[in-house]
Amino acid sequence: MASPNEIKKGIVLLHNGEPWVVTEFQHINPGKGAAFVRTRIKNAKTGRTLEQTYKVSETIEIVEVDYRNAQYLNHDATGYTFMDMGTYDQYTMSDDEVGDQGKYLREGLDVTLTMFEGNPIALQFPRKMNFRIAETTPAVKGDTATGNVTKEAKTDGGFVVRVPIFINEGEEVVVNTDTGEYVERAKKE
Amino acid sequence: MNVERIRQRSDIVRLIRRWFDERGFLEMHTPRLVGLPGQEPHLDPFWSVVHEADGASRPVAFVTSPEYAMKRLLAEGMDRIYDLGPCFRDGEPWDGTHDPEFLLLEWYRRDAGLEDLMRDTEEMVRWVATESGYTSLVPMLGPFRRMTVSEAWNAYVGIDLDPLLDDREAMADTCRANGQTVTDADTWDDLFFKIFLTGIEPRLGEEPTFLYRYPVSMAALARPCADDPRFAERVEFYARGLELANGFAELSDPVEQRKRFEEERALRQKLGKKTWPLDERFLGALPKMGNVAGIAFGVDRFIMWLTGATSINDILPFPARERFED
Repeated sequence: MASPNEIKKGIVLLHNGEPWVVTEFQHINPGKGAAFVRTRIKNAKTGRTLEQTYKVSETIEIVEVDYRNAQYLNHDATGYTFMDMGTYDQYTMSDDEVGDQGKYLREGLDVTLTMFEGNPIALQFPRKMNFRIAETTPAVKGDTATGNVTKEAKTDGGFVVRVPIFINEGEEVVVNTDTGEYVERAKKE
Repeated sequence: MNVERIRQRSDIVRLIRRWFDERGFLEMHTPRLVGLPGQEPHLDPFWSVVHEADGASRPVAFVTSPEYAMKRLLAEGMDRIYDLGPCFRDGEPWDGTHDPEFLLLEWYRRDAGLEDLMRDTEEMVRWVATESGYTSLVPMLGPFRRMTVSEAWNAYVGIDLDPLLDDREAMADTCRANGQTVTDADTWDDLFFKIFLTGIEPRLGEEPTFLYRYPVSMAALARPCADDPRFAERVEFYARGLELANGFAELSDPVEQRKRFEEERALRQKLGKKTWPLDERFLGALPKMGNVAGIAFGVDRFIMWLTGATSINDILPFPARERFED
């Protein structure tokens, strides 16, 4: 038995006798109420998703799963393929299973696969990753006066992130892969 | 650190003060360190120790809100007052919407009710947005959406809340039917929150919304509604999916207040939390306070709203994560 405080992305809960992967979670303190953890969970077998709110003081059952270190190889029509560099076993996860996280994957990235009954059901990788800004508009005078302190920028990963207006094309930035948000300018090595 | 955001923060806070000052509200500077903090069962104050020069010492806590002091000032004859300063709450998640030290605005009016609080909030928000120029995220036309809690239950989860009031078993069945877990330890309020936090709050969306008329058990410092005492005169304000404010037509009956405080203290005990004596000075002042309404408004979250920041850590100079972690 475990506490909902231990809920993290990628862990597997037993809910109504079935394994569900936590895909999103948020701690909530309504102030006038007890503390809760709001989750979105995905059935490890059927892929169905549910929203579920647990009180922090209740107990939940966390399913023991294996974790396997692997490297991202490539993406094709079958989905995303990873390789365990120790055993050379390959694993594939479908686009649906990987979801929005897929945009952060790049060849050779080290990831941790959550394995349930021999199959990968969830994927973890660094929370902070560097990306180069491939495309963005230059800051325009007067932007800050009208409240525009961020702008859209396209990264070398192909996805769009909101960055402060002072960020220019070609710069490297740190992105939080949990929230999809800009964190800071990447430190120069 | 996003220096531009810190400048915006400064602008917004200055404008909030101006809005109140220009409307005849007096700024109070209530103490941050108190002997007896608010004892809401689910809030945890930070405790410290104060020493006198001769070495005598006593425990003190940082306020979780200025509410008790503000009400005592109202009892001393004050009208239209506000307080804008940091408040402190321990044990909250550092998740981008909380910081253990946050900026709280509270204001109170005499002979006023929820309507007045909603109108003040709407006008202040729009005025600050207009004066600061951060208008793009605030709807400027028509009143902000207003819904009773019962209306929200009907609209978002299709559940008629009224027959469930005071009926824990019926509420438990409703929770199970909606796929939520139910344990013996869950109170009626807990079950309410499981459905509310899963099916209602996330669906309020971006639009600024006042939710009002809460079940009376969820409004420890509010007056019961005149037309139905199962509900209380409490309002919450949401915008961009975050709770920004919580207000009451304030309870001034010291007997009822004492009863609710004792229930809260019993619940704290049951939860294994620290307890402390009731604030007798506060209870003694209540009969002199009269008919007032007041609201607590989270300034950090308001700054997030106006500036479009998605994390509280973007609008604080040194957020908790940064100052307490290695």
